[in-house]
Amino acid sequence: MNPIFIIIPFLIASLGSLFLKTEKQVGRINLFFSILGGGALIFYALPFGLHIRGKEISQWWLMDSFSALLVFLVAFIYIVTTIISTRYIGHEYEEKIINLHQYKLYFALFQMFVLCMILALATNNTLVLWLALEGTTLFSTFLVGLYRKKTSIEAAWKYMILCSTGISLGLVGILLLGYGAHEAGLSGENIFSIHALMESSQAIPHDVIKLAFIFLFIGFGTKVGLAPMHNWLPDAHSKAPSPISAIFSAILLNIALYAILRFKFIADSAFSDPSWTNNLFLIFGFFSIILSALMMLIQTNYKRMLAYSSIEHMGLILFSLGLSPIGAMAAVMHMIGHTFIKSTLFFGAGEILIQWKSTKVEKIKNMLMRARYTSALFILGILAIIAIPPSALFMSEYGMFSQAIAIYPILAIIIFIALGIIAYAMLALTINMIFATEKIEDNIEYKKERWNITHTIMTVELIIVAILAMWFTTSGGINIINNIVKDFLFIK
Amino acid sequence: MSPIIATLIQIVFILLIAPLAPGLVRFVKARLQGRKGASPFLSYITLLTLLRKEMVISDVTSWIFRVAPFVVLGSSIALAMILPLIFTGGSLAQLSDFLVVAGILVVGSIFLVLGGLDAGSAFGGMGSSREITIATLLEPVVILIFSTLSFMANSSTIDGILKSQINFSEPYLLLSVIALILVALAENARYPVDNPATHLELTMVHEAMVLEYSGKYLALLEYASAIKLTVFSVLIANFLFPATLLNAFSWSAGNLLGAVFLAVMKIIVIMIGLAFLESMIVKMRFYRMSEYFSIAFVVAFLAMLVALLSSYNDTPIKYYIIFSIFTVISVVLLFGRVRLKAILRYYAFSSLSIAAIALSLISMVRKEEIIHLWIFAIFTIITKVLAVPYVISHIGHAKKSLTNLPSFLRPGKSYFLAIILLMLIYFTLKNISIVGLTEWNALLYTAVALIVLGITMMIIKRNIFSQIVGLLVIENGIAVFVLATVGSLPLMIEFGIFGVTVATAYILAILSAQINDLYGSTDTDDLRELSE
Repeated sequence: MNPIFIIIPFLIASLGSLFLKTEKQVGRINLFFSILGGGALIFYALPFGLHIRGKEISQWWLMDSFSALLVFLVAFIYIVTTIISTRYIGHEYEEKIINLHQYKLYFALFQMFVLCMILALATNNTLVLWLALEGTTLFSTFLVGLYRKKTSIEAAWKYMILCSTGISLGLVGILLLGYGAHEAGLSGENIFSIHALMESSQAIPHDVIKLAFIFLFIGFGTKVGLAPMHNWLPDAHSKAPSPISAIFSAILLNIALYAILRFKFIADSAFSDPSWTNNLFLIFGFFSIILSALMMLIQTNYKRMLAYSSIEHMGLILFSLGLSPIGAMAAVMHMIGHTFIKSTLFFGAGEILIQWKSTKVEKIKNMLMRARYTSALFILGILAIIAIPPSALFMSEYGMFSQAIAIYPILAIIIFIALGIIAYAMLALTINMIFATEKIEDNIEYKKERWNITHTIMTVELIIVAILAMWFTTSGGINIINNIVKDFLFIK
Repeated sequence: MSPIIATLIQIVFILLIAPLAPGLVRFVKARLQGRKGASPFLSYITLLTLLRKEMVISDVTSWIFRVAPFVVLGSSIALAMILPLIFTGGSLAQLSDFLVVAGILVVGSIFLVLGGLDAGSAFGGMGSSREITIATLLEPVVILIFSTLSFMANSSTIDGILKSQINFSEPYLLLSVIALILVALAENARYPVDNPATHLELTMVHEAMVLEYSGKYLALLEYASAIKLTVFSVLIANFLFPATLLNAFSWSAGNLLGAVFLAVMKIIVIMIGLAFLESMIVKMRFYRMSEYFSIAFVVAFLAMLVALLSSYNDTPIKYYIIFSIFTVISVVLLFGRVRLKAILRYYAFSSLSIAAIALSLISMVRKEEIIHLWIFAIFTIITKVLAVPYVISHIGHAKKSLTNLPSFLRPGKSYFLAIILLMLIYFTLKNISIVGLTEWNALLYTAVALIVLGITMMIIKRNIFSQIVGLLVIENGIAVFVLATVGSLPLMIEFGIFGVTVATAYILAILSAQINDLYGSTDTDDLRELSE
């Protein structure tokens, strides 16, 4: 199957959203095509991910178990986000927060945004990878600024300017790498083929590789939200509509990381020694964790809290990758677990936002009484994200620390303390929202919360996380993770 | 045949064809303006009519007034005799030393000035004062142009310069010719220096000086200026196509016919070009004349610099280096500007220079890459010179408040910072050795300079529009980087990248319009809502 077919349902859904008349039709066409397209993608990616099918490499396409894993995650998050979007955005449409034009624009851009992510994962060409990543920025800018309020427009502005600049620098890295490959004797389109670069990276001059990798790391690292370049992330995540925050946090950051990892392989195999890139990963991962720990303490906004938690988890994944090769297994587990849990949390945040119309923690009181399902699922999600067993993150963080303590004991202890701070801060904020009681005089009448589709999805995701945690301990699970790691990590 | 006959033929030809030149310009201009226009041969009849008319000469004039027309006409004819117009190596060719030529030109204009002063009328004095100012400003440029050329051709005569078969793969020649065209426009009292068609006291220069002349003397002066125009146009055409000249020692009647035909064609084409130019631009204010001559001087000076450097370094300076310099300079100028329009103009100019870089690389790449460079250049012009500035200025124009873009630094300091950065980049790049990139050093330097300047611009400028332009400058830097490293990209990708550029500019422009609506300003200092 030529992967170009995956474009079709996305395009139909996107165009359909623009041209259909009523909001009902738009919702239906999006649901239909996202379940169709997402289902097809899962169906397509699973055999690769489970190593039933081997790598498939052509001039334009590259599908191995690592990209298949991410395609699977994108497809899953895509389906659930579409379902949540029809509820969340539909609700805002009914409340007249957005108009029909914005409603249609949302779905049209959303489809193209996901398509760009899939393209970034499935391509074998560094420049297409770049175009797709830049495409995710271009298509999602108006999603961040959907509400046309001061804050959301400002967040969109920051997001676009920082990410575009960063990704432009990434292009410099790609071009330098292409130039190095040209020097190394590759010709034609091969100088931009990821696979060809991986195969023949030894011949590329080391100076060029180092320079190129620094550009790529800084450039795409901006999109990952690494510590000094993270500025856009909390704003964009907190001001975007909640389903978009979920897809940003759960999967977009991972895709930028995917790009960095592809180039890490090229750099490592060129040096035939991963320690240089590993050190970069360790430093940036470490500082991202520390920064989010410090910022977490002063948060007054639950969506920003979740955004900083994303920075922290990206830092953790980076740090684990820096402890390769064993740390890389922890990183993959962490990536999977984080995707499910963080999307759950943002969906929950969306429910809270719908009911209270505010993202400030101090405005939200007595959640347990007023929104019992949401609050129960939200606190379960928070427990999962701070890696309380049986969360899948517990498995990965355990794996990471067992490595880190052995190699970098001091750093490991500092990170441990930072994680403790983060856990404390997140729990304190959440408990405050859930259990703090309102003053008698503001006690207004409220309807009891009904179980709705969001809660179903959150439950399903949390159950998946628990099952994953079990599965990661079985030898079958370890094997599959190991195979994935082998596909993207250079091992001496 | 003998060089004496050649020189005679040349002078006769010029004398015969000369009145046609101003007539042609008038005719084409009339057609361009939608009028029918007088016949191009009208000038002949005008001259004949003037010759038959009685002269009115003021009593207060001295012999200078009477001598001036003959000296002016004599200087023009002398030019027509010594310069290589149809033949090289004519019998008077040794006299065409550029200092002699400049001297003859000055003698002509000095007597014209004196003739204008002599009658003591107000207009004559005014015109003379203007003419001598222009002549003073013109002189160094003429000397600079011809000293560059004679240095490169190893001969101080214009004849020798043209004989040495100069070719245009050397950029100094193009620059010299551009400067020469600017000089020729001024020397012949054409737009934008003087308007030959009016007698408006505010603007006229040449016409003011000849205002007191009438009848035969006026005919002589008109004829002299027609000869000068013809000589200059043929000379410029000869610099562009030196191969069309005949050697005075070996030519035949057939050759001569061809050469004369070519000379007529040169005059016609250049006069049509002049008419187009004069229909498009307007005369400059007299006080802006110094700018005009500064431009001419800078261009001539740059030509000399390039010529000297390429002979000093052994490696000749190629066109792409010149255009890289233009790219960087226009970005540096953009750096200190505050008006959105000006910033976009400089941005468009730097993009244009990038397109020119791509075109000038054509001669140095493999055959299959040529088409890529063409596409690159064309799309750069379509997207970055036209579409992007249009989109941004269109949205910026809708909000009048956006025309001024404040910066954290004053313009002077911004330029200073830019120059410091350029020097830093130079020394940094010198110490980073990237294998094999030496060949394209200038391009690499340009690319890095643009990227760094773009990022700096995003930091020091306080306005969202400057941030957009900063981002676009970075993208331009990457475009140059493509040229410097891999040469060309696959076609689809190339289109994709241009598409991304336009889309980025479009989205950012829309966002900035929304910010302006919501915040009431575009100062990035006001974007502080999200500081929690």
